[in-house]
Amino acid sequence: MKRLLPQANPLVLFVLGLLPVFGSLLVRTTPHALIVLASYAVLAGVFVPWTKGVLWRLGFVAFAAVSVLWSTWLLGGNQADNAGIAALRVLVLATPGALLTAWVDPTQLGDQLAQRVRLPGRFVAATTAALTRFTSLGQVWDQLDRTRRARGTGPGRNPLARIPWAASMTFALLVAALRGGTQLSMAMDARGFAAATRRTWAEPAPWRRLDTIAAVIGAAVTVALPLTLALS
Amino acid sequence: MTGAAPPIARLQGFGWRPLGRKQQVIADLDLTVAPGERVLLAGGSGAGKSTVLRAFAGALGTTVAGDLSGRVEVDGPAGLLLQNPADSLVAATIGREVAFGPENLSLPREQIWSRVHECLDAVGLRYPTARSTAALSGGELQRLALAGVLAVRPGLLLLDEPTSMLDDETATTVREAIVRAAESTGAAMLVVEHRIGPWLPHVDRVVVLERGAVIADTTSDAFVRTEHERMLRAGVWMPGAVAPAPLDVPAELVAADSPGADLDADSITVDLELRTLRGTVRTRALEHTSARLAAGAITALTGPSGAGKSTLLAALAGLQPLSAGTITGAQPPFSRRRSRQLAAASGWAPQNPEHGFLARTVRDEISLTAGKLGRRVDVDALLELIGLSDLGGANPYQLSGGEQRRVALVAALAHRPAAMFLDEPTVGQDRQTWAAVAGWCAAAAAAGATVAVATHDTDLIALADTEIAVARRQAAA
Repeated sequence: MKRLLPQANPLVLFVLGLLPVFGSLLVRTTPHALIVLASYAVLAGVFVPWTKGVLWRLGFVAFAAVSVLWSTWLLGGNQADNAGIAALRVLVLATPGALLTAWVDPTQLGDQLAQRVRLPGRFVAATTAALTRFTSLGQVWDQLDRTRRARGTGPGRNPLARIPWAASMTFALLVAALRGGTQLSMAMDARGFAAATRRTWAEPAPWRRLDTIAAVIGAAVTVALPLTLALS
Repeated sequence: MTGAAPPIARLQGFGWRPLGRKQQVIADLDLTVAPGERVLLAGGSGAGKSTVLRAFAGALGTTVAGDLSGRVEVDGPAGLLLQNPADSLVAATIGREVAFGPENLSLPREQIWSRVHECLDAVGLRYPTARSTAALSGGELQRLALAGVLAVRPGLLLLDEPTSMLDDETATTVREAIVRAAESTGAAMLVVEHRIGPWLPHVDRVVVLERGAVIADTTSDAFVRTEHERMLRAGVWMPGAVAPAPLDVPAELVAADSPGADLDADSITVDLELRTLRGTVRTRALEHTSARLAAGAITALTGPSGAGKSTLLAALAGLQPLSAGTITGAQPPFSRRRSRQLAAASGWAPQNPEHGFLARTVRDEISLTAGKLGRRVDVDALLELIGLSDLGGANPYQLSGGEQRRVALVAALAHRPAAMFLDEPTVGQDRQTWAAVAGWCAAAAAAGATVAVATHDTDLIALADTEIAVARRQAAA
C-alpha cells in the first residue's frame, strides 16, 4: 500500500494538504480532535512510507502545537482546556500537509495546475522552475557556511552568537537566491519565455481511478469527518 | 541598402551603467553581427564582454537593473549559454529541460518531443529523456544547456565562457558540440572565452574590447598575426604563448608567522548529502582516497570535471565531514577547530566567489579576516597586486566575474595563513592575474606554507611541486 502514495496525483496531495484548513475550524472539542487525529494515524500507518523527511516535518508540526499550547495557556488565563484544544487544532490543521507534501513532484504538479486547473502557463512554469531549484539553496547554504568558517566569521562557542550568524547567513542566502534568479531568468527568456504569452506542455496531466479514490478518502477524513462530528 | 543581408544583431551607440555604479562601464559602442557569422569577443577581465552578451540576450534594463542608452537590435530569438550550466536549469529531467523552449513556443506535443530528441542527438547526449538532470556531469550539463538553447532554433548563439569550468578533454567535446550546432543550423555565434586558442579555428572574426570600447576588429588569421603583442599586454591568452612568469610577490605580503604542517589524508571516504524537496540523496564523492600535502610546496589536485578535486580540497581544509578515514598533520585537526582558530592557520578560496562576500567594499572584504585575527594587512599593496587599485571602494557584488574571483581569492588569503587551499583559482583570469596568483602560491610555499590547488589549468599544474590525480569514480552510494 505504501507504494501508492508516491504515485498519487500531486494535485490531489496538494489539495489534501490544504483541505484541513476547513476541518480544523470545525473541530471544537477535544474528543472530536482526537477522533480526527486517530483517523489520520490509521491512514498514515497504511499509506505513508516513513522517511527521515516525513519525521522531520512531523517534528515541526509537534513543535508548533506545543508552542501554541504554551502561549494559549499563558495568555488565555491558564485554562488547560482551551490550550489543549488550540494545540490539537494545530495538529489537525498541519499533519496532512506534513505527511503528503514530500510526495508532491513539482514538475507533475505544474502539469496538473496548468492543464487541469488552467492556471496561467507563465505563472506555473516560473513556479515549477523555482521549486525544481530548491535543492540548489541547500548547496548554497553549505557554501556560505564553509566560507564563513574558513574566514573566521563562523559562530563561536557562545550560543547567542549564533543569532547574528544565522541572520547574516539568511541574508546572504537571499542575495544568492536573487542573483541565481537573475541568471535563471536571463536563461529562461533566451529560450522563448519572455515572449511566451501562452504555452503548451510536453507531458499530459492524467487523472486515474487511483486519484479519485485518494481524493475521496482524503476529503472524507479532512472535511466530512469533522463536519459530521460538528453536526452530531 | 546595397546587397548585404541585414544584420542579425546590432548595437548602436550602446551604453550601460549598472545599478550602483557611478560611471558607464560601456559607452557609445557600435557592433554588428551578420547572419551566420561567428565572432569571438576577446579582451581582459572587466572589459565589458559579458555585458555585450547580456545586451543581445535582452537582459539589460529588464532582468539586470541599470541604465541603458543607445539601441540594441536582435532579429529573432537569441540563445544564451552561461558559464555555469546549473544556473539555467529549469526542470528535473533532461527531456523536460530541453522541452522548456518548445513549450514556450506553444508547439504541439509531438513536435516538442521530436525537437527534444533532435537537439539531444545534436549535442551527443544519449540518455533516456527521463534521466535526472542531477545525474549529469559538468560537461554533460553544459551540453544539455546547449540542447535547451538549440530547441528554440535561435538565429544567434551567445556563449558566455561556456567551457571555462571544464577540463581540457571535456571542454573539447562541449566546444565541438557548439561548433557543430552552429554549422548545421547556420546560427550566428558570439563567444566570450578567456582561453581563446581553441576557438580561433572556428570563428570568422575577432572583436577585442578594452574598457568597453572596440580596439580591434579583424579576421582570426589577421588577429593572430598583428595583434599578438598588444593582446599579451592586455592580458589575453594568445594561442601558442607560454604562460607568463609568476609575479615576484613580496614575502611580507604572503608569508605566515610560522611554517605550515604536512597534511596527510589517509584513505578518506566522503559522502555528499543533497537535500531535495523529496528527501535526502546521498552520493559518494571520494572513496578510500589518500593524499599528502607537504609544507613548503605547491600540490596540485587534478582530474576530470566531477572527479572530486574540490571535495578532497575541502576535506583537507577541514571543511568537509568525512564518512571514513583520517586527516592528520595539523594539531588540533582543522575539522575540529572553531572558526577563528581555523582561519588563523588556514585560508580557503571557493570556486564560486560570490558566495564568499561578507563586506560592503572590496577594501573591507580584503581586511576582514585579518581584522578578526588582529593581524595587519597592507590592503593597498594587495589591491595593486591584483590590479584592482581603482575599485577598493566598490561593492564586491557589483564587479565583473573575473574581478570578483580576484577579490575572493585575496580576501581568503590576505591574513597570511600557513596553509592555503585554492579551488580553481585561475579560471576566467587574464594573464596578469594568472601571474599574480601563481606568484602568490610560489612565494607562500617558499616561505614554508602548505599550498594546495584544485585545478585543471595545465600551466598552473606545471608550476606545482607535486600533482595528485583524482580519478573519477562511477559507483554511487
